[in-house]
Amino acid sequence: MVDMAMHMMDIAQNSIRGDAKNIHISFFEDCDSNILLFSVVDDGKGMSDEVLSRLDDPFFTTRTTRKVGLGIPLLKMTCEQGGGSLSVQSKEGFGTTVEATYRTDNPDCLPLGDIAGYLTMLLVANPHVRIRFSYKINSEEFMLDNAELSEQGIELLQPGVAGLIKTFIKENLEELYSYRTVKDFLC
Amino acid sequence: MKEIKTLADLKKKQEEMRSRIKLRDSAENPESFVQVKVAMATCGIASGAKEVMEYFVDELDKRSIRAIVTQTGCMGYCYAEPTVEITLPGKDPIVFGYVTVKKAGDIIEHYIKEGELVDGIIPQNYNTIKS
Repeated sequence: MVDMAMHMMDIAQNSIRGDAKNIHISFFEDCDSNILLFSVVDDGKGMSDEVLSRLDDPFFTTRTTRKVGLGIPLLKMTCEQGGGSLSVQSKEGFGTTVEATYRTDNPDCLPLGDIAGYLTMLLVANPHVRIRFSYKINSEEFMLDNAELSEQGIELLQPGVAGLIKTFIKENLEELYSYRTVKDFLC
Repeated sequence: MKEIKTLADLKKKQEEMRSRIKLRDSAENPESFVQVKVAMATCGIASGAKEVMEYFVDELDKRSIRAIVTQTGCMGYCYAEPTVEITLPGKDPIVFGYVTVKKAGDIIEHYIKEGELVDGIIPQNYNTIKS
């Protein structure tokens, strides 16, 4: 994983595989403390304590198609290499919360990457999952909710709309990035 | 592309686009759609599955091929990522491995449009002939 956007897709894919109907992806940059908080909260089937305790073992997976499970271990690695941390809470039957903290003043902090592109693919590929995305820098926020999109009559699956959504997200995020008060290693 | 900042802009653009593209009838049943599933687990993402998926979404739109592009988990062929499973209407699904953007172009051109098989098929499902 070379950027944050890849982790976002990876962790969200875990939620989708866990039959989540609601996924909330959020990024929060706090320029005062140089912290980026990335979290994915879902209401999927959750994990038992036993699974949870083996979560950061790369040779543990619930899949039967292969013997390794690298998503969470890689996320943990990229957080920790830059002085951050990862926490995963889960309750069987209720859902999972993954929270990764990055230090944006650390040169080993991952770049953000193509958030707009990944988010668009996530929305287009999963029209039946409610996906809420928010990106907050200090007190400025950009929010996107696919339930709201469809309320407004925007049909994600109509030909050509994916490109429009991507541009929409990209332009809003770029405006948001201009509110950063410190220079950091995210871009 | 001109600015799309608000949901209203987005909606307007969509309307413009709708009038430009001849709207294909939604009465068709989804069975008649080409289904493209891109493997998007850790292995797929790391190998560039997103670029391939974006390419499929854009290119199928451009060529007016009715298709549903979705993402799926790892199919167990991590060595051959990015992998894509394609189901043509009325046919068995076929899994293609090592799908780069260039390869995706070949798949659309030859398999999806003409039904000709191209290189890189992973023999995932096959039926034995019963005598």
